[in-house]
Amino acid sequence: MQQATLTFDGHEIAAPPGTSLIQAWLAAGLPLTENVGCMGQGVCGACRVLVKRPGARIAEAALACETRAEPGMQVAFIGHFPAARTHAYDLAAMGDGWSALATLDATFPEAKSCRHCGGCDAACPKHIPVQEAVTLANAGRLPAAAALFDTCVMCNLCVAACPEHIAPAHLGQFLRRMSAAHTLRPGDLMLRLREVEAGTQAIDLDAVSP
Amino acid sequence: MIGWDAARAAPPDDSAPPAPDAKALLAHFHPDHAPDAMTALRIGPSAGAHCPAPLAQLLESHPLVQDVDLAGVPVTEADVLIIGGGGAGCVAALTAARAGARVLLVSKLRMGDGNTVMAEGGIQAAIGPDDSLQRHYADTLKAGHFKASRELVAAMVADGPAAIRWLIEEGMAFDLAPGEERIGGRLLMKRPGGATAARLLSHRDFTGLEMMRVLREAVLLTPGITVLERHPCVELLSEPGGAAAGAVLLDLERQRLVLAAAGATILATGGAGRLHFAGFPTSNHYGATADGLVLAYRLGATLREMDSFQYHPTGIAWPPHLAGTLISEAARAAGARLRNGTGARFIDELAPRDIVAAAILREIAEGRGVARDGCVGVLLDTPALEAAEPGILKTRLVTLSHLAHRAGFDPAAEPFLIRPTLHYQNGGIAIDTTGRTDVPGLFCAGEASGGLHGANRLMGNALLELVAFGRRAGTAAAEARRTPRALGLTHLAGWERALASAGIPRTRRAPILFPDYGNVDVAALLRQAA
Repeated sequence: MQQATLTFDGHEIAAPPGTSLIQAWLAAGLPLTENVGCMGQGVCGACRVLVKRPGARIAEAALACETRAEPGMQVAFIGHFPAARTHAYDLAAMGDGWSALATLDATFPEAKSCRHCGGCDAACPKHIPVQEAVTLANAGRLPAAAALFDTCVMCNLCVAACPEHIAPAHLGQFLRRMSAAHTLRPGDLMLRLREVEAGTQAIDLDAVSP
Repeated sequence: MIGWDAARAAPPDDSAPPAPDAKALLAHFHPDHAPDAMTALRIGPSAGAHCPAPLAQLLESHPLVQDVDLAGVPVTEADVLIIGGGGAGCVAALTAARAGARVLLVSKLRMGDGNTVMAEGGIQAAIGPDDSLQRHYADTLKAGHFKASRELVAAMVADGPAAIRWLIEEGMAFDLAPGEERIGGRLLMKRPGGATAARLLSHRDFTGLEMMRVLREAVLLTPGITVLERHPCVELLSEPGGAAAGAVLLDLERQRLVLAAAGATILATGGAGRLHFAGFPTSNHYGATADGLVLAYRLGATLREMDSFQYHPTGIAWPPHLAGTLISEAARAAGARLRNGTGARFIDELAPRDIVAAAILREIAEGRGVARDGCVGVLLDTPALEAAEPGILKTRLVTLSHLAHRAGFDPAAEPFLIRPTLHYQNGGIAIDTTGRTDVPGLFCAGEASGGLHGANRLMGNALLELVAFGRRAGTAAAEARRTPRALGLTHLAGWERALASAGIPRTRRAPILFPDYGNVDVAALLRQAA
């Protein structure tokens, strides 16, 4: 592997062999106070970049900590900005679950207007089939839709890409949260909670010694 | 040292490794016990206690701002100020806001960009039929070499089942055992290294991501919480009597100072991995620079077990661009073996983390390590795991497979080269069972706090701690809300006198906010802000 020369936010930089884009930024001596979090695990979604490779027609969205620096790349950080509209809901106020679809429609009314442009799919650095998940949600297939979003890091690139302001990442998050909060009732947990409440799980602080 | 190809060719020997003399192993090979690893603090409330020298440099340092810098600085008010936007901060914010407090949550990076989101393995709670709160309590104390506070451990453990229920109510999903129903089914439980029962609950192998994205969404949708991102805290505010009164924040976006006035302040600032003690790589997020410890210490908060850090046994050793990145204990919990260059197992893979890490460092020090392109470590045998349980890498160890892909190899065909990575701050700011520190008005929760893990933390107790004590601190802070009598930096006068008498140069200033390789001139930022 050899050193790669690339352009990053307007700076011509030389990346040491094998480095990720975020490491290349630091190695070039450039200051880093934002667009960074987990530094390589690819879970926080902070280091969003647009990357255009030599000869490619369009730029792709990616996470800078997960993407190797390559010669001739043109890279730019994508800043974080609030979504155009907060899709607000209250899990506790949703009752017994029969209103799930109504709450989905009321909270994410734009989802019905999906024009199947594929912008969200192209934007997702985790390769989630976002558009398919939205379609499933519209069809009432809530667990299937939620499952497709399972590896989402909430980087919000699909939110930025959607011309209908559907906020797919938050729709997915809503479905996953609703599913857990309203349908996950482990029997062993319920049993242990009852024991704790009944006082049969008291802890003796002095029962153990070195 | 044994070359990569020779180590790969060595026939695997699966016989059980000899049980080590744990005390001797730790004394000789754990990084905490290396000669000159620790130094005694000279000034402050924990003077005489030991901590790593680079941390002592920050704890015994001059402030970034003075009283004079605060003139004319805009003030924002809250009932409860929470510093830190990781798991502990978000749990505390939700709890305090629901108790009726007006909450201001400030974060150096973005909300969620901390260590919580990176947690992979899971969260402990004693829920299994053969398990009990008492066993969880005993396991935690033993793993921590009986240095933890019994009251704090009992409080955390007792909160376990209720904490899981609380997380589910917030919308967090947990894996069920195969074939189990969502109502009345059994949770999937794994045995964490060092525990006597299967107690680890998980969401695949990205439990922290599942937790953090739920908490962040909940914070954004809960009325009464204001979030300020990219607002690191550069100093805590004090009243003349020494009580905490809020914080001085640096707005990185607008390059100006902001005062946050609050009668109750919760520090949830996390750990110190980015100080890279003894040159170790770290699994921590970019912002883990001990800011909270520095600020609390000069305000009068006692620290405890600051000489104890967790080196996670399985950090990436090769390839170098991923050095320090974590491979979850979930791999070993699922049965993956560690092998030295001769193909032999050398330690019970599920022994406590400090023991496993020390054993790996012993193998390397004694020449049985494996070298690949100049990187040294031991092998984590993922091919044998996949052969024993076909499909496990793709279904249960998603993050691990993803990591191997980024490293450029197939974990079903090739083992990982691993070595210990600086992972967790076992000690921290001393608290009581309500999350109160020694400083009136100052609370602490999460990795920044001390007393819950003693000298070694069990896997899965960090996520439990941040929920249990995030809720406790959030509740106590909401109850303690009051209007500060005055806003100032009166605590700095005595502190500067102590620094001067100890001969500490004025050039030594903290908190540093960003790692030294972040190329950030904090002093210049403050000059622009002033």
